[in-house]
Amino acid sequence: MPLLGRRHRLRAIIVTGLRREFKRPATLVATAVGVGLVLVSSIVIVLFLGAFLPGQTRDLSFFFVPASNGAILFFVTLMASVVGSALIADDLNSMALTLYLSRPITHADYLIAKAAILAPLISMIAMLPLVLTPFVAALLGLFAWTIALEAIGLSVLLGLLFTAFYTSVTLLLSSLTTRKSYAAAGVFAVTFGLTIPADILASSIGNSALLYVSPWEDYLALARAAFGASGNQLDWPWALAILLVATVVASLFTYLRMKAVEVVSG
Amino acid sequence: MFGEVRAVDDLSVAIPEGAIGLVGPNGAGKTTFLRLLLGLVRPTTGTAKVLGHNIAEGVPVRERIGYMPEHDCLIPDMTGVGLVTYMGRVSGLDANTAISRAHDVLQFVGVEEERYRKIAEYSTGMKQKVKLAQAMVHDPQLYIFDEPTTGLDPRGRTEMLDLVRVIARSPGRNVVLSSHLLPDVETICKYIVILDGGHQIAAGELSQLLTGSADRLRIDVRGDREAFARRLLEAGMEADATPSGVHVARKPGVEAAIFQTAKALGVEVRYMGREIRSLEEFFLELVQRNEARGA
Repeated sequence: MPLLGRRHRLRAIIVTGLRREFKRPATLVATAVGVGLVLVSSIVIVLFLGAFLPGQTRDLSFFFVPASNGAILFFVTLMASVVGSALIADDLNSMALTLYLSRPITHADYLIAKAAILAPLISMIAMLPLVLTPFVAALLGLFAWTIALEAIGLSVLLGLLFTAFYTSVTLLLSSLTTRKSYAAAGVFAVTFGLTIPADILASSIGNSALLYVSPWEDYLALARAAFGASGNQLDWPWALAILLVATVVASLFTYLRMKAVEVVSG
Repeated sequence: MFGEVRAVDDLSVAIPEGAIGLVGPNGAGKTTFLRLLLGLVRPTTGTAKVLGHNIAEGVPVRERIGYMPEHDCLIPDMTGVGLVTYMGRVSGLDANTAISRAHDVLQFVGVEEERYRKIAEYSTGMKQKVKLAQAMVHDPQLYIFDEPTTGLDPRGRTEMLDLVRVIARSPGRNVVLSSHLLPDVETICKYIVILDGGHQIAAGELSQLLTGSADRLRIDVRGDREAFARRLLEAGMEADATPSGVHVARKPGVEAAIFQTAKALGVEVRYMGREIRSLEEFFLELVQRNEARGA
C-alpha cells in the first residue's frame, strides 16, 4: 500500500492534536479569554492613550505598553499548563508513545509535531494581540502606518521568541512525568516561581542582575530595546541569549529524554 | 550492549518468510531483539536487515512493520475507529484510505459494533483486538506480535490466535510471534528462534527441532507409564517416563522388549515411533543445558 511522506504524517499528528485540544472546554476558555482580554486591554489603552498615559508620545515606544501586558504572561502560562503539560505526559502515561514510535516517524518528528500543536495556541496570546493592536491603531488613524508596520514586525519577532521559549520548556516538563498536573505545576513554577522572587529580591537588595533569572523580565528587556522604550534595567543581548539558550537546551533535553524512554518493554 | 550488559550477543539468524516464533526466558534478549527489528536501537556491532532494509534506516523499516505491543498503549479518550484511523494516517495513509482501512480491520478483528465507543470503555479483549487492528491498518509486510494473548480469557485467546493464524497464512505477510506461551507459538509458527542470555540457542523448523534423535523412540501407553518405564530399565533398556510418554534408546531387540513388557504389565501400547517432543519440553531441555554449560 503506497504511503505518504513525512510531511503528511506530521500533519496528521498536528491536525488531530489541535482538533482534540479544541474540543476541550479548558482550551477554548483559555484561548478565548486570553486572546480577548489581552487584545481588548491593548486596544483600550491605544484608544485612551492620552488619558492612561499622559506624556506618552505616539511613536514606536508606545507599543511596549501592550507588549508588557501582564495578562500575556498569565494567559501564556495558563495555555502552556492547560494544553502543553498533557501533550507528552499523557502519551507517557498511556504508553501511546509506543504506537507513535513504532510508526515510520522519528523521535524528532514526534517532538516537532507536539511543538506544532502547542506553539500556535501560545502564539495566539503571545503574538496575535500584539500584531492586531498596531494594525487597529493605524486603521483608526491614531498612528502612522510606518510605525504600525514596524511595531507589527517587532511584535512578531518578540511573540515568536516568547512562544518558542514557553513551547520548549513546557514540552520538557511534560516529558519528565506521566502526570500532566505535575507538568502544569512546573510551568507555573517556571513563570511565577522565578519572576516573583527575582522581582522582590532585585528591588530589596538593589541588584537588577537578579532579574535575568526571570523569563518575563528577559522578555521585557528585549521588548523595551526593540520598541525603544526607556527604563531598561537589563542588557538586552544577555536577555536574548538567556531566552535562546534556555529554549535550545530545553529542546535538546526533551529530545534526549524521549530517546531514553523505553517504548518496547518486556 | 547496555552499559556492561550484553542484551543480545552474537546473534546471527536468517529468518525465512512465514510465521516465526521468538521464545526465551525472561532476560533472554527478546525485547531487545524486537527493538532492533523496529530500528529503535542500533546494534553496538554488526548489522541487521529487515525485508531488505538495514535497521539503521529506521523509518523505511517501520513503514513495513506492524507492531502489536504487549503492554497497554491505546489512547483512552479516542474511539476505536478514531485511533486506528489516526494510526493509519501517522503511518502514511491518506485520510480516506485510513478511514476505510480502519473500518475494514476493525471488522476483521471483530470490533465492529463497538468501534464508535471510547477505548476507555472497552474490555481487555476488545483492547487487544484494537491493538491488533492498529498494527494491521497500513497493511504491513511484517507483523510483530508481542504476547498477543496477554490478559485474555480462553475464548479471547482462541479468537486472537485464530486472527494471528489468518494473518500468518496470508500470502506475502510474515509474522514474528514473541510469547511465553509456548503452545501458542507451537500452533501458529513453523519456524522458531530460541534466545537465552542474549544468545540464540536454537533456530529452525519447528517440526525438525521437535523431532528428536533417530536413536530414541517415544512410546505412548495406556496404563501405568512409570511402572512400564521401570520394567524396561530393569530389562536393561535406557528408558525414562515424561508427561509426553516413555522415551527409550534404540538398540537391537528393543521393540520386542517393549511389547513383552507391555503384555506382562497389561498396558496398551498406543504409539511407538520417532521421538517427538513438545516445544515446552524442548525449550526446557535447551535452557537447562545452556545453564549447565554456563555454570
